[in-house]
Amino acid sequence: MSFDLALVVLVASVWLLLALAYALVPALAMPGAALLWGAGGAAFAALAWRIRAAERGAFASRH
Amino acid sequence: MNATTISHPSLLAVRRLPRSQRALLGAMVLLALATLVLGVLLGLGTALSRAGLLPMDPEGGYRLLTGHGAAVFFYWLYLGQGALLLALVATETRPQPLLALSWLGWTGLGAVAAGLAFGFVGAASGTPLLYDGTPELARTDPAAALPFYLGYLLLGLGLAAIALTALATALAGKRETGGAEWSAPGFGAVAWAGLLLVSAIAMLAVFTPPALWSAGLAAEPFDHATRWHLLFHNLHYLPLMGTVLVWYVLVRELTGVTSSFGGRFSKLVFSLYLVFVPPTSLYHMFLEPGLAPSIRVLGSILSLFVGVPTVAVFLLLTISLEQHARAQGARGLLGWLKRLPWHEPAMTALGMAVVNLALGGTFAFVLIQEKLAPLLSDTFFVPGYFHLLTVGTVSLTLLGAFTRLAPALAGAGLAARSWLRRLPWLVSPALWVFAFAGVAAGLQGLPRRVMDAGYDAGAPTSWAVLTTILALAGVVMAAGLLAYAATLAATWLRRSLASREVTAMPSAPGGPLVAAWSGPAAVLVLLLAMYVATAVAFELMQALPITAAGAAGH
Repeated sequence: MSFDLALVVLVASVWLLLALAYALVPALAMPGAALLWGAGGAAFAALAWRIRAAERGAFASRH
Repeated sequence: MNATTISHPSLLAVRRLPRSQRALLGAMVLLALATLVLGVLLGLGTALSRAGLLPMDPEGGYRLLTGHGAAVFFYWLYLGQGALLLALVATETRPQPLLALSWLGWTGLGAVAAGLAFGFVGAASGTPLLYDGTPELARTDPAAALPFYLGYLLLGLGLAAIALTALATALAGKRETGGAEWSAPGFGAVAWAGLLLVSAIAMLAVFTPPALWSAGLAAEPFDHATRWHLLFHNLHYLPLMGTVLVWYVLVRELTGVTSSFGGRFSKLVFSLYLVFVPPTSLYHMFLEPGLAPSIRVLGSILSLFVGVPTVAVFLLLTISLEQHARAQGARGLLGWLKRLPWHEPAMTALGMAVVNLALGGTFAFVLIQEKLAPLLSDTFFVPGYFHLLTVGTVSLTLLGAFTRLAPALAGAGLAARSWLRRLPWLVSPALWVFAFAGVAAGLQGLPRRVMDAGYDAGAPTSWAVLTTILALAGVVMAAGLLAYAATLAATWLRRSLASREVTAMPSAPGGPLVAAWSGPAAVLVLLLAMYVATAVAFELMQALPITAAGAAGH
């Protein structure tokens, strides 16, 4: 896993975990929070997936 | 296929973009400057109206305030960031400067421009909703608020399109370079685009319910304030993240110095912005009366992390610059500062932006204290401190970067360079007067969203004095910003390219590692200033006969 990819995966993980916390911990309940951070986590996860695809595609074309 | 390296790490490489893509970036810069001019004029009108120097009924004043907030905070800051974001990804991540999906970038710009038009029709015709668009203010005539909400929805769609253009460009670069790692600014731009995309999603989430309500298609949304806090939280971080990334790029471009800590450490610091965004949003809930005490404590602790990434980038840059200068023979505590290229307009803008951020950051930490937030959030303390950040830090940084970008895009020399070099020295002192007067007024309880705060001669006399000082400082600040924007726009009217104005410094040679303490010492001073400012604010607030707390968020 490249350093770029690792950092984006880290960000996606933090956002998705926070989304879960906002969704499941009653004391943290804020309307829209879980949805927003979850959508953000999904966006960064999608970005990580595209980075991985770009890196693997480039690797495959070199070999 | 071998990995391709990128040999043009400079904003100036936008000169090599295809003509249509230079036109896209140029149009974004010019529209950004136009919204800055509009927003500054409306802000000036607001300040003069509050001081009684511009006769106007209160509703007219609120229209000015609504237009000022929307034009500057949403359109100027985000068009400016959009232009720099696209310039960075095109030049940092691809072997040859090129945007992918540039049609999507044009679509985004068109949507933002349409949003600006709708927003201003709404602000001029319906109930002035202020920039957060609270639905309860539009209850008497919801339909009249529809253009205002449509404006924000178009802005959100436009920003999403610009962010996707940036991400597609960076991914294309990743493929073209054989999967090689992005440069530190290239990675930073990707992170910036990601946060911009999420913020655009947040904008759509916030303003879709009131838009549907004002169109008669849904019930009135009663959770608008909370959703707004979430959007607003992102809007705190996004411009700051862009600002420090632009500092990073400008320092390299103006001095040739790159980070002493290496590119990977810089990437880690840029990604910290994204790591800290969700957990620190809790402090926006401090004004909610039902918030559990344990969450208040947790929010206070987490809020301490707000400034960590920004301080880290500041340290990274100052230590790198000082180490390099000392290795080249700089002496004395601040001798390294003298070696910076102060003849460059971008350097003076950057220098003043750093000072303004330190001041604004100090007051920001006062405001996010759990005990003080309810007392100060509805007062003029808020506009007092945040102008240090929006005008003094982010706007000066964007304008400084435009002194590099505009000549490269227009293919012409920068007009009135010496004036542009001096204008940050004019704007910043006026801003400091504005900020300190605003903070002082806020500590004395002057409400921030009341046009006529005379209260039938029942208000403290100091309020009138401070409001007049605010207006006069606003005049000087506005004059400086208008001159800056007009001078930059004039670049497109010039013909020839003056070569000395569009050169980037070659990479500075590495030297032996030397101690560099100015940056860490500055951070210690900043922490001390935050402590003193918080203590003084507590003392002042306890000395006042205040029994009521504010109800709106900051």
